[in-house]
Amino acid sequence: MIPYREELQGVFREVFGDDAIVLRPEMTSADFDGWDSLQHVTLMIAIETRFNIRFATAEISRLKTEGSTVGTMLELLRAKLADR
Amino acid sequence: MSSRELLENHLAAARGTPALRAAAWSALSAALKADVEAGRFDEVREVVKSAALPTLDLAWVQALHRILAKLPRAERPLKVAVLGGFTTDYLVQGIDVFLFASGVDVQVYSPSYGTFRQEILDPESELYRFAPSIVYLATSRRDLGPFPSVGESPERVAEHVAAERDQWARLWQTLHDRLGCQVIQNNFDAPPWRLLANCEMSASAPGGYLTRLNLALVDGAPAYVTIHDVDGLSASAGRQAWGDERYFHVAKLPCAPASLVDYAHSVSSVIAALRGKARKCLVLDLDNTLWGGVVGDDGLGGIRLGQGDAVGEAFLAFQEYVLGLSRRGILLAVCSKNTDSVAREVFEKHSEMRLGLRDIACFVANWDDKATNVRAIAKTLNIGLDSLVFVDDNPAERSLVRKFAPLVAVPELPTDAAGYVAALEQHRYFQVTALTKEDLHRAEYYRAEAERKHIEESATDLGEFLRSLSMVAQVGPVSPLSLERTVQLINKSNQYNLTTRRYSNADLVALLGDPRWITRTVTLADKFGDNGLISVVIAKIEGDDLLVDTWLMSCRVLKRTVEHYVRNHLASLALERKLRRIRGDYIPTPKNALVEDHYQRLGFSCTGKDADGRTHWELALEGWSPGPSFIETGTART
Repeated sequence: MIPYREELQGVFREVFGDDAIVLRPEMTSADFDGWDSLQHVTLMIAIETRFNIRFATAEISRLKTEGSTVGTMLELLRAKLADR
Repeated sequence: MSSRELLENHLAAARGTPALRAAAWSALSAALKADVEAGRFDEVREVVKSAALPTLDLAWVQALHRILAKLPRAERPLKVAVLGGFTTDYLVQGIDVFLFASGVDVQVYSPSYGTFRQEILDPESELYRFAPSIVYLATSRRDLGPFPSVGESPERVAEHVAAERDQWARLWQTLHDRLGCQVIQNNFDAPPWRLLANCEMSASAPGGYLTRLNLALVDGAPAYVTIHDVDGLSASAGRQAWGDERYFHVAKLPCAPASLVDYAHSVSSVIAALRGKARKCLVLDLDNTLWGGVVGDDGLGGIRLGQGDAVGEAFLAFQEYVLGLSRRGILLAVCSKNTDSVAREVFEKHSEMRLGLRDIACFVANWDDKATNVRAIAKTLNIGLDSLVFVDDNPAERSLVRKFAPLVAVPELPTDAAGYVAALEQHRYFQVTALTKEDLHRAEYYRAEAERKHIEESATDLGEFLRSLSMVAQVGPVSPLSLERTVQLINKSNQYNLTTRRYSNADLVALLGDPRWITRTVTLADKFGDNGLISVVIAKIEGDDLLVDTWLMSCRVLKRTVEHYVRNHLASLALERKLRRIRGDYIPTPKNALVEDHYQRLGFSCTGKDADGRTHWELALEGWSPGPSFIETGTART
């Protein structure tokens, strides 16, 4: 049981318009159809809205760079939500 | 549940918790997808019309955009080019969704951001191959030339303003010359920071400079340019909330993501208004909408309205707002479940009422269902259901009207009357792109019309009635003064319109310079008042013929023999030019059955009928003489 995985999965399904998406921590942007730089921004905006958090400028770009995974995203999410 | 039922949940959830909103949305979007799969396109259209609100999340607008992509669309969509100084992808998706909701199918061309000058200046660019009717310059303060240095004299700043304005005006002119298109130009939103703090409004401060530039843009814009008030959007959102710099740095978004949807809604409403899709009439419930309480139960003295009571003041403030709308050309109607005399008594006798019976173009108080009454109101005022906005505090009535009169716009209202104005405003139902004299006097026209109807009912002979009106018309070519109103009529007349051809401001200006084309506008006054500009004809001289391209009339002067008068005018015009015939077509649409026999009634003979229902007509002028007319020709107005 990974915290926030279900909720994040909901956001992914909405943004990519695909109800079959199942998130695994090791997934990267290459595992999703249409994850281009615009879709990345859409995703970041949707996550901020859904969890009522705010990414820093560097975090928004970092989550799209090579080596960044769904796991990175979940960790960052946990850290941000724990801060509150 | 059907998407129609889920729509009601979605609208109600807008005032609920984020989780409730999200759940209602996901149920609705799933139902819409199922509708698309099953080919229930009409249901999708109807539901999206009400669901597409400026308060949606960005991801939801994108979802709607994906759903709409699967619908069959108009064969000839409106072509819009969006030329951005910033990332316009989200605006473009929103424009598609919101214009669809307003009944306009669009095809959008949007090159990558920052290339707008090249696109405009290069005559070989993709923009000109696309040939849009509307070009939207989605630019921001970051696309401006250098700002004045702080401390420069107001005179130098004024020169700066003029030079910057002229730069943009040259781009508009180029677009206009090459495309004959309408241009929408963003004004420039001030930054959230204030370099000169309290003195930010001084001429050489960034905020002061931008304010002066924005005023210069709007004051000096030619008729083919509409300035889109982005600075107003920014102020409404709050400049700090609007200016989320992170997403500018990361993705060149023009504002905070949370404001993008409203931004797209705003520019869409401007485009829709340019296409004549702005709403015209506000239909108001009475009890708990215009005043607190139920007059039938609480009595004239028992309702809450007016000074001294906070709730009463809130209703008063709403009436003030509504009165303001009426004074700038929005028609008001009443639709109330009440005994007529009881409802009217409040207007006649309550000292705190801001609205009087004279402000109401159509007053309906009875016990019939409201969908039926709303239809009756549209019929009486001779306007389409898609021109109405229905305001009622009762959710059941709103739901009923949404269901049985789906073309009517029905905004949700909060339970607190102090929130009514904001609830109504957010939809931009009554968007304005230019203010015409007719707009300002519309309420008078309709009131005079009601008096005429009264006489018509009492007169026994139609000829006698028409003579008693003492009608005087003025007819002449389209002039700079009548241009706005003419374009407005051309783009919104659906019923009395023979060919339903739409022309922009720019198209018309081009025709005016061409000696082969003849344009005529007609104004009509009578003893009850001035109806303003009510008919437009555009015709072309071809050989011996006067070929009528466009002939339309405002339905407010139906059955007043204006069309006979116009025919006589066209005939004498043609005879002066030694022409032999007047020819014209009737092109049927879902809305113009009214003029199917227009030419026949005017003595034209039918020369053919096409498979699509289009009919061809002609009037031979040899030996033709005009019949008696009830309308006199007056001297030109100033």
